[in-house]
Amino acid sequence: MSKFSTLIFISGLSFLLIVITAQLPIAHPPMLIGQHIIDNAIQDTGVSNIVTSVVLAYRGLDTLGELAILFTAASAIGLLLVTQVNSSAKQVQISNPNFIIENALNLLFPLLLLVGFYIIFHGHLTPGGGFQGGVIIASAFFINILSKPFKATDSEIEKSHQNLTIIESLSGFTFIAIGLYALISGPDFLSPFLSHGQLGSLWSACTLPFLYIAVGLKVGAELSSLLITLYDSEELKD
Amino acid sequence: MVLLYTDFATYLTTDIILYTGAIGLLLIGLLGLLILKNIFRLLLSLVIFESGANLFLVLSGFRTHGVAPILINSQDNISQMVMNDPVPQALVLTAIVIGVGIQALTLTLIIKIYQRYQTLDMKEIHIKLEQDIANIAQTSPLASQDKPQYMTNQTEHSNKGISSGGQV
Amino acid sequence: MKMLSLLVILPLAGAFLIPAFARISTNLARVVGPLILVYLLSLIIPIYTAFEVNQSSSIQFAGFIPPYGIAFYIDELALLFSLITLIAFLMIWPWGKTNLDANHQEVREYSLYLLLLSASLGLILSADLFNLYVFYELLAVASYGLIAKQDTNKAGVASAASLRYLFLSASGSVMLLLGIALIYTQTGTLNIAHISTLANDKLQNFAGFAACLLILIGVGVKAEMFPVNSWVPEVYGVIDRRLTALFAGLISKIAVLFIAKVLIMIYQQEFILNIILFIGLLGVISGELIAYRAKDMVRMLSFSSIAQLGLVFIALAIPGEVGLFIALALMLHHLIVKSALFFLSEKMHSNLDQLKGLYHQSPIIVILFIFLILSLLGIPPLPGFWIKLNLIINLTSVTNGYLAIGFILLATVIESAYLFKLVKTMIAKTDDVHAAYQNGQQKSYYFALILSLGLLATTISITKVSDSIQNMAKNAANKELYIRSLVPDISKQHKLSSTNRISQLTMHNRQQEL
Repeated sequence: MSKFSTLIFISGLSFLLIVITAQLPIAHPPMLIGQHIIDNAIQDTGVSNIVTSVVLAYRGLDTLGELAILFTAASAIGLLLVTQVNSSAKQVQISNPNFIIENALNLLFPLLLLVGFYIIFHGHLTPGGGFQGGVIIASAFFINILSKPFKATDSEIEKSHQNLTIIESLSGFTFIAIGLYALISGPDFLSPFLSHGQLGSLWSACTLPFLYIAVGLKVGAELSSLLITLYDSEELKD
Repeated sequence: MVLLYTDFATYLTTDIILYTGAIGLLLIGLLGLLILKNIFRLLLSLVIFESGANLFLVLSGFRTHGVAPILINSQDNISQMVMNDPVPQALVLTAIVIGVGIQALTLTLIIKIYQRYQTLDMKEIHIKLEQDIANIAQTSPLASQDKPQYMTNQTEHSNKGISSGGQV
Repeated sequence: MKMLSLLVILPLAGAFLIPAFARISTNLARVVGPLILVYLLSLIIPIYTAFEVNQSSSIQFAGFIPPYGIAFYIDELALLFSLITLIAFLMIWPWGKTNLDANHQEVREYSLYLLLLSASLGLILSADLFNLYVFYELLAVASYGLIAKQDTNKAGVASAASLRYLFLSASGSVMLLLGIALIYTQTGTLNIAHISTLANDKLQNFAGFAACLLILIGVGVKAEMFPVNSWVPEVYGVIDRRLTALFAGLISKIAVLFIAKVLIMIYQQEFILNIILFIGLLGVISGELIAYRAKDMVRMLSFSSIAQLGLVFIALAIPGEVGLFIALALMLHHLIVKSALFFLSEKMHSNLDQLKGLYHQSPIIVILFIFLILSLLGIPPLPGFWIKLNLIINLTSVTNGYLAIGFILLATVIESAYLFKLVKTMIAKTDDVHAAYQNGQQKSYYFALILSLGLLATTISITKVSDSIQNMAKNAANKELYIRSLVPDISKQHKLSSTNRISQLTMHNRQQEL
């Protein structure tokens, strides 16, 4: 589209958006389902973080769909990019060994893992949860790869992909299995079914922490595998 | 003059600023998607467009003097607190993760396209794609019957470039 | 009935487990998909045959009553489309893949197919707007992956087509999300039944209208709607024919079902139906005119498909259950005919000029082709004629209906021009042996044969089929039944308040008379 007509289109659209926003009930939304969820979330699921109850209990199927979308994107990337074949057994050096980077990243790696797992485990008590913690864990593993000056050999890449694939598949299946157990033994798919526990402690909120642990492990393994695939792909060789 | 400024400043509440930000992000993203030609910049415009939509969705749960929907101390009484709406926050969590998946997949597609077509310009890729589709279907690409002579020469030149450099 | 939620969940579980199974044995991973398909068929066929005519039920998730939780709506229409989806996936399943490479990543293509299946079934069954958005995105991402995987010899052609499709579809998804956000700010809920009780009060302003347009554009990308269908010839030109049959035949119809749900339940104003009429009209005219100029088979069929979907949008512009009946009949008819045409085109050369004399090489293919296009055009006594006749008769009661009828007949004339020209080429006598007959997969030929036999059976028993589709449409367009099944408490409140309002109005009128 020519630039002038695009500018006219965008200015007209901005005018329309401003008109729409002026009609919106800013700062006093009609919270038909929101108010009910705020009032009843603690009795129904026993969480302190009401957003977690919405994500995992009231709208658990959306979270399952979101996991599936991430899995689809990672699968498609794994299908499209071919990891490079380094058939020689000796190590290929790709950058100069740098003392500061290696040791700083070696220090960061366990700290990042700790923070990631903390956010996952406390997803039902504090803001955070499986997705956020999973991304931090994935970045921890990726930093570990970036810090090494030697490119991994073929067998190392193969083994890491194997382990990550197994973790990814099994944790995804655990999420569905917990839901299926609720379907078979009780009311519906993904109903929370363990005890409520004490509000505010780590052991509370029915099955929601386990669901978040499954989500966090899956997201972490998936994003790590995705990043390793992108890093090692044959297409990026110059 | 000072009075005018303070009058105007009282209208600039937090939510108005945030809504302006959301609309601005939407418009910048859309403008980029319409005008830009480099596919990597198109991807970045898409990212901005999605961020604008996510911000707009989150803002729909904002209440005046609302607090986050989390019980900090277990002795708090919920019925006395004005909490923000938790549903849009959960929806945006899903939408952000979906966006991340799509962005990663787009990057992979850009890598594969560059490997084949050696260019990142959307117009060139479009022309070459039409040529490739016509090759797959074993026809010639559709051309208008009154196309002027100099344009016919140009497509022949680009055809030569593809048949020598590319591989089907 | 609760077990029908397995329709969406089992394919997801299968897709997650396939890469892990591939470590144990590739044959195990290969067989997971078809096993799941067969099991789901065995689950749904008894329920479908035992389903009564006006029955409808809802499945809730996580034990929370809708609208606070998510719910699926099961009626005859949903069951029929789920059955069709399962059979279609069983037909196009890639059975014969032998090149599973050493690092076991190729099995992930099977998981992409299972994810596509789960997304299609979720879109058919769900009754919650954001859940529909999540399944729509899953459908989109799975299709990006499947399209890009069609590259042969590591070429990047399919990746380029997939990228152009991705930019259009992702922008559409963002607009869909904006539309849902606008509806949420106005009504405060996400359940379609709950929104439809509130639509008369809260969605009549400019924000509601903007939300409708945004949702139309967003879902219209997949439904091959007029302004946003530029991806169709590019994508269909690079992918396998059987995958084209799936996308053009089934997936676009599921997207149209999404739009139909939103229109019938939430937006029935005449202004919006008028806009949909014009969008459909533009789709029909643009599709037929470009198909007239097409020089290869896939391009011609894909633009003809755009035109037929434009007809479906014109049918949706007729308000009430009649519009839904004609739209459903058009969708089912197009599903059978277009999929059969795409399967059949695998045995023909792509270039239309090279098809000279195909009749003498293989008469059955040409006879099947003629049978299918006669139904597509609307020649009696084939089903296409009855559907188009119904459409034209019912369009007279719609504003701008006569304009639409004129354009539909003009489009039919153009369509018959290029299709009969093609038939004439096929029947022509020729001396030199062209490569008109290609050795495509024999399976596709059998599928085209089965679909044509189905069309023949429909022609013979047209009254029975038409009655059953009419009942299905009457049931599906019944807003009261929908609201009552999904949100029974709120429907009681709504009926109470509306009867109060009616009694208040009658009292007010009586006072005015006095």
